[in-house]
Amino acid sequence: MHRGGGGASATASFYKKVMKTYTISKLARAFELSRSTLLYYDRIELLPASGRTASGYRTYTATDYRRLERICTFRQAGLALEDIRILLSSRGSSCAQVIEKRFREAGQQILDLRNKQRLLSGMLKKLASDDSTPTVDKKMWIEMLQAAGVADRSMSCWHREFERRAPDAHHEFLASLGISEEEIRQIRGWSRKGKAARDQD
Amino acid sequence: MQSSVSVKEWIDMFQEIGLDEAKRKQFHKLFESRHPEGHQGFLEWLGMPAKDIERVRSGSK
Repeated sequence: MHRGGGGASATASFYKKVMKTYTISKLARAFELSRSTLLYYDRIELLPASGRTASGYRTYTATDYRRLERICTFRQAGLALEDIRILLSSRGSSCAQVIEKRFREAGQQILDLRNKQRLLSGMLKKLASDDSTPTVDKKMWIEMLQAAGVADRSMSCWHREFERRAPDAHHEFLASLGISEEEIRQIRGWSRKGKAARDQD
Repeated sequence: MQSSVSVKEWIDMFQEIGLDEAKRKQFHKLFESRHPEGHQGFLEWLGMPAKDIERVRSGSK
């Protein structure tokens, strides 16, 4: 490192020209971290600032930038800061151990999540089956039609229309009111016989 | 679950049994006040878009 020489400010401007440096704020912004995170990394010597300006502000070099890049990648993989420090300072076996440990932990988390998902899907299924009991049944439906001024006679007319236009939907609708298959068959039966058998409107 | 009858067909059928527009409005009001969840379920079953369901239900309050 080129240090000393023609005064502090001259040194600083020399560095600025020769290599790109970052202030702590600039570096923090580049990685969407807070300044205090970088101060902390500096304090625990995970990422010590390479230099200082004349007025004592931390400066980071391109090498620091790349180190922080690796730190962030390891953080995303869920590694602890202590483990990252080991990783960055060592080669070979201890490095592999740290990663293997994290690999096993991730596997366990996947299992935990799968379990959670199974539980949730069970809850969903239960909710869906509770849902199949109709919120409106035959009696409620008839009462509402009556209250709206539909005569009983018109209701059989409605069944015939329904059966003629959309027999499947007719069946489905009656089933959704909780009417038994047997009764549905009866209703659809006389609906099909139509005008001849039932009242003429 | 969605019905194979359209909203229009349903209205036609109601029309045929004497449920005119005024009575249909009354019917929605009844449905909304007596069985709000059933009202929602029924309109969904008819395949009515959510936006329209909201409009019909808030107009029935």
